[in-house]
Amino acid sequence: MPTVHDQIDELLAADVHNQLSEEERHALHTHLVECATCRRAHQENKIMNKVLEETLATEKPDPAFEQRMLAGFRQRSPQWSGGLAKVIADLMRLRATQITAVAAVLLALMQVGRMITGEGAATSRHREYAAEEQFTANQAPLPASSPVGSLAKSENRRGTETDRLAAGKPFARGQSAAAPAAPPAKAKDEKQEPAGVERTIVTGSNIPTAEEVASQPARAKGAASEAGTYRAAEPEQTSPATANRKLIRNAQVELEILSFDDAVQKITAFAGEERGYVATSNSEKQANGKLKGEVVVKVIPENLDRLLQEIRGLGELKNQTLGTEDVTKAYFDTDSRLKNARVMEQRLIEILKKKSQDVNDLLQVEKELGRVREQIEQMQGELKFMDSQVQFATVTISLAEKDMNVPAAFLLKERAQLALYTPDVEKVYNDIKAVASPKVQITNAQLDRDNTGRVSARVSMLIAPEESDAVVARVKGMGRVENFQVQTERVAQGGTGMSENAKTERDKVELNVGISRDEQEQALQQTSLRIRTSTVDEKTKELRSLAEKQDGRVRSSSFSRDPDGREFANVSLRVPMKNYKALMESFGSLGKVENVSVQRQDSTGRQTDEANAPADLSIQVYSQGNIVSHDTGLFATLRRTLAQGIGALMWSFRMIGVAIAFFAPWALALALVVWVARRISRRRKQQRAATDD
Amino acid sequence: MMDASEREQYRAAIHGDREAFEMIIRTHSRALFAIAYGILQNREEAEDVVQDALIKAWKSRWRVRDPEKFPAWLSTIARYRARDVFRKRRPLPLAEELKEFSDAPASTSPSAGDMDRQVHTALAGLPELHRTALSLRYLEDMDYQTIENRLGLSNGALRGILGRALAAMRKQLRPALASLD
Repeated sequence: MPTVHDQIDELLAADVHNQLSEEERHALHTHLVECATCRRAHQENKIMNKVLEETLATEKPDPAFEQRMLAGFRQRSPQWSGGLAKVIADLMRLRATQITAVAAVLLALMQVGRMITGEGAATSRHREYAAEEQFTANQAPLPASSPVGSLAKSENRRGTETDRLAAGKPFARGQSAAAPAAPPAKAKDEKQEPAGVERTIVTGSNIPTAEEVASQPARAKGAASEAGTYRAAEPEQTSPATANRKLIRNAQVELEILSFDDAVQKITAFAGEERGYVATSNSEKQANGKLKGEVVVKVIPENLDRLLQEIRGLGELKNQTLGTEDVTKAYFDTDSRLKNARVMEQRLIEILKKKSQDVNDLLQVEKELGRVREQIEQMQGELKFMDSQVQFATVTISLAEKDMNVPAAFLLKERAQLALYTPDVEKVYNDIKAVASPKVQITNAQLDRDNTGRVSARVSMLIAPEESDAVVARVKGMGRVENFQVQTERVAQGGTGMSENAKTERDKVELNVGISRDEQEQALQQTSLRIRTSTVDEKTKELRSLAEKQDGRVRSSSFSRDPDGREFANVSLRVPMKNYKALMESFGSLGKVENVSVQRQDSTGRQTDEANAPADLSIQVYSQGNIVSHDTGLFATLRRTLAQGIGALMWSFRMIGVAIAFFAPWALALALVVWVARRISRRRKQQRAATDD
Repeated sequence: MMDASEREQYRAAIHGDREAFEMIIRTHSRALFAIAYGILQNREEAEDVVQDALIKAWKSRWRVRDPEKFPAWLSTIARYRARDVFRKRRPLPLAEELKEFSDAPASTSPSAGDMDRQVHTALAGLPELHRTALSLRYLEDMDYQTIENRLGLSNGALRGILGRALAAMRKQLRPALASLD
């Protein structure tokens, strides 16, 4: 805590300026009583204060000072004319505006950069493309949904999906959906029933909206399931609608049953129950002893559906059609024509009764009367027929006993295929083609030669059974056979199942031959090994001669020498399997055999000629090279280290160069901006100095 | 603390209300003058500085974020402007002025003129901030807190400044003062 004495200057100043608190003032004055130095300073300070007050009072501005300032201000900063500038100035005060401005400037710079580098065009094109894609994506569902109007606006996803479905085939849907809902008579009908004469035509106004489509299948399903329960009440339901209509109903049912006679009996019983009768029945015995026939049942229309239901229980339903024909118009037309004819008849009779004088006239009348009566009878017959048709529905039931065929014969089909490997594909191909004779038919022959010079051929032929073995043997002799397969199929004819006494026949033998050059053949066995020797070149030559001795062929070979003086020779050989072992044994004379690995491809179900199958060998003959490498030892290590160090240094120099190249334009731009700013400020200062002067 | 109406006045001025700004000119220009005078010790120059400072303040008023700091900001502008002027003065203006001063015919008692001259010389010898504080105190009779506020000084710092300033003055003027006593 500083003492009063230490702070005396401050306290004295504050005291004369009346800025001390009560305690401070008290403490100060207590001290002043004790301390003579401070007392003197206090005295001096008071005088100093007074002198300053007096001196500076004269320096105070005169009363007109404020007015001068105001006048000067008004003169030098005239009121802004427009409110726009003010608005802009006010806007610039907002931090958000400032940030936006900075961002805008940066963006503008970026855009300029992109324009300069030509990047803009490419990206904008990409964007256009993307936009177009999106556009088409948006567009796609539109045409589909347009027929149904504004459905596409449906909000939930499932909704739109349904819409699209509905829109995709509005007519089909509309029909199926509308059909069960249309006339009550239809609702009970089975699904297979064709709409028939009463087919509901779906017109534009009938096209269901999505909501309807969505709800109608459900309703239709409901109707279908409810059909069963409504069945009992159905005649009452239908009769009012059909009371004054003449409807001919008929049905065709195709059934597969176990026993024909049983079925006919049952049908007769059903018909009796349903107040109907069996009109005709015919049957026919088939070759396999099974019965097949047709029963026509007449039943009153109201009971038709019930009868059908019962009949369907008899066996397996193959087919069913149900039709309704509306003959109301024809019926009543005929009826009224009949009435007219009757009136005509009556009048003709009256004319006759009058006993006209002229015999000629009488004859005419008689003739006319006969014609009219004929008409009447014809029409009465028609009406009767129609009545009978309307009165009874016709059910045509086709019955067939279940087929339990026993094959009459078996056919033995033989299919053989083989792959031939030969050095000369074309020759073999022509040879095989030459085999053709009346009993050997070439069905397909093709020779393929691709641009790498590979040749392959395929020949297919049909051979008469008795010739087959001989021909196959001949073909097999033309090259190395690989993969000979025979497939035999026993095909039952005229039925399925097994039969003890059916005879078996041999069909023509199908032979497919694939011919390819033997190099293309995959080796049965692949061997790789290394031989270490000191004289690679010499030993490789030796190796080649050994292989040739064993009937082997060199497929490829290479020779290389690495900087350490090591030599490598790679030789790839193919020998027949029978010579493989001998060759392998002979390698021992060349050098030390190392790293032998053998891979064999055995495939089951393939008949192969193992002795002649090719075996591939890939052999590396190598030498160990110099015992002491150039690259070991102190100097080499030192040299390597140095070289790597210098390399790294050079790399880093390069990177620094890249960085400088990268930053240089920016640094230059920055320097330019700073320079311009400085120039401007200097110019301004100079101007100001000039005006001050 | 600043009262609400004052604050509102500053805010309006910042937002470009000329009338509010003119009112600020009326109420603040004397303080600004005191600051400028404290630095320059010359009334004409100080008046020009105040005028310039006001124009500059009006033009860049949007830079002020907090209306409460408006008076301090005005003072700062005036101080910088005054400092600029002070630096650009032609060499030895004070000496010449003083010479002129002394050569001028003494209207009042010679001792009073002598005293004035000595006071001014002593003032000129003080640091700028001390001079400014003194002139605010003696020209405007401001209390310490307001001065601190205007000059951007921390709480209580002004006491030290004024104490040292007065002590320096009285030591320099001791002989003159003794004669006056």
